[in-house]
Amino acid sequence: MFLHYKFVLILRALWFLAQIALFGLIVNRMVKEEVQVVTGGNYFYFYAAGIVVTLLYSMTVFIGYDIYEEADHGVTEYLLSLPVSRRELVLGRAIGGGLRSFLYVAPLMFVVLLLIGITDPFRILIALTALFLFAFGVAGMSITLAMSIKSHDRFDILLGVLNAFIVRLSTTMYPVAFMPPQYAAMAQFNPLTFAADIFRWGAGLEAVLLTSPFVSVFGIVVFFSVFTFLGIVFYEKRLEGGGWR
Amino acid sequence: MAIIRTFDLTKKFGEFTAVDHLNLSIEEGEIFGLLGPNGAGKTTTLLMLTTVIKPTEGTAYVGEYDITKEPDKARRLVGMAFQEPKLMWVMTPWDVLNWHAKVCGLSSSERKQRVKWALTELGLWEDRHKSVHTFSGGMRKRVEVAKILIQRPKIAIVDEPTTQIDIVGKHRIWNMIRALRDEGSTIILATNELYEADILSDRVAIMHRGKLLVCDSPKKLKDSIVGGDLIELVLEKEAAENTVEELKKIEKVVDVLAIKPNHLRIYLNHAEEVLPQITELFMKARLPIRSIRMSEPSLDDVFAHYTGLTIEEAEKQ
Repeated sequence: MFLHYKFVLILRALWFLAQIALFGLIVNRMVKEEVQVVTGGNYFYFYAAGIVVTLLYSMTVFIGYDIYEEADHGVTEYLLSLPVSRRELVLGRAIGGGLRSFLYVAPLMFVVLLLIGITDPFRILIALTALFLFAFGVAGMSITLAMSIKSHDRFDILLGVLNAFIVRLSTTMYPVAFMPPQYAAMAQFNPLTFAADIFRWGAGLEAVLLTSPFVSVFGIVVFFSVFTFLGIVFYEKRLEGGGWR
Repeated sequence: MAIIRTFDLTKKFGEFTAVDHLNLSIEEGEIFGLLGPNGAGKTTTLLMLTTVIKPTEGTAYVGEYDITKEPDKARRLVGMAFQEPKLMWVMTPWDVLNWHAKVCGLSSSERKQRVKWALTELGLWEDRHKSVHTFSGGMRKRVEVAKILIQRPKIAIVDEPTTQIDIVGKHRIWNMIRALRDEGSTIILATNELYEADILSDRVAIMHRGKLLVCDSPKKLKDSIVGGDLIELVLEKEAAENTVEELKKIEKVVDVLAIKPNHLRIYLNHAEEVLPQITELFMKARLPIRSIRMSEPSLDDVFAHYTGLTIEEAEKQ
């Protein structure tokens, strides 16, 4: 199962390389001194940390596609008949999906950490744990969406739109200091902001206006809890009613 | 003691009623056949019993647990081999079964032992590391059946376990289902294969259009058709009219039809009990019998008796 998405994995790795080696380096040369200061002295590092989180997010939402594939292959009925509770099943799916994407992204995360340099191993450990939880939360969110939308095509389009907003209204690519106030207000409650900022904090980036690590961890825990809960509810409502048939 | 009881169990999909107020009782340790054409509501019933889907109305008790109130507990008593093989499409039989056994809580050593046993018994050992993509329908079906043999649940549900499987494989699976019952599992066998239901089941419930038509042992169901047994006699010479009349007077003989002057077709019940009386009658009448052919009704006849249709006709509707 781990290499089921090897094609996607290879393309995502190439996408990541393009984002870092092309886009990141070029944009880094374009940004003003003012931006370099706000982002901790090096916009490229700020951007690299953010793009890893974006990649983690986009790899994790793939579990929603698994749900549709399972329904098509009749595996859904099998999973629902297994002698485990619905809570265990959804948690297992969310944790499995989150762990899988975390392992996919781990080598690229390691590359970024090597670039930035690790100053405090304890901090990076906290950050990685938070990113683990973030990935589980994204998996729970993807399962919830897949459960609430019957059509695979609609799910695909929704994810595209959601990605556009959730990534751009976060601090993954630019610091909150340069956002219009309304955008900044929304970005501060975005799980991708929590994840990107905790990763930067863990890597020791001293950027101005990073979300506090406590707030980030709290936000990620809430995000994870809400979507795991919703995943269980939607699984029960949609599938046990025979709604996937 | 009943291990499964359903009370007006009903499932609707929109306007379509797949299962209509089903009332059943399944005894612990029996092989219970659920017979009916495709679309009769068998699989939907099984999916409700395994808590995969919720009933629209009514409920069922699996063991002591109400499936609508305690589905998690009910589910732990049940294991199901599905009609269509449910495989994680990129895995090998070894992986599929090992994963299933792990989720069912088997220890590592027990898991390996049972997976090896099931794969060997079902003739899949040599192919255990091949992709299931390369398997025939019959091989995939065997992998699906193996899940239940490994799990050994208290209630094992098998949905059309031998479709697409050759006759040798069918016998192998039937023997394994019997062995599973002998080890203490209650078996629910959903099938549209009449012979399979007849030879395996202690009791059979016949469903049609979501409703339960009748439920009893195969023998009692067949005996319930008045005049369902048939004896065909070919005599050395023409039967006298009074002999035919005497024949009709024998208890359990329902009707006698003279196909030819020396060829009689007798419709009756319990043919095996009446045959000695019939032969004695012809011996007394000095009418030598050239040949006797005896047949009893099949479950298809039972189905036809209650619906006016054969299984094949019902499936076409």
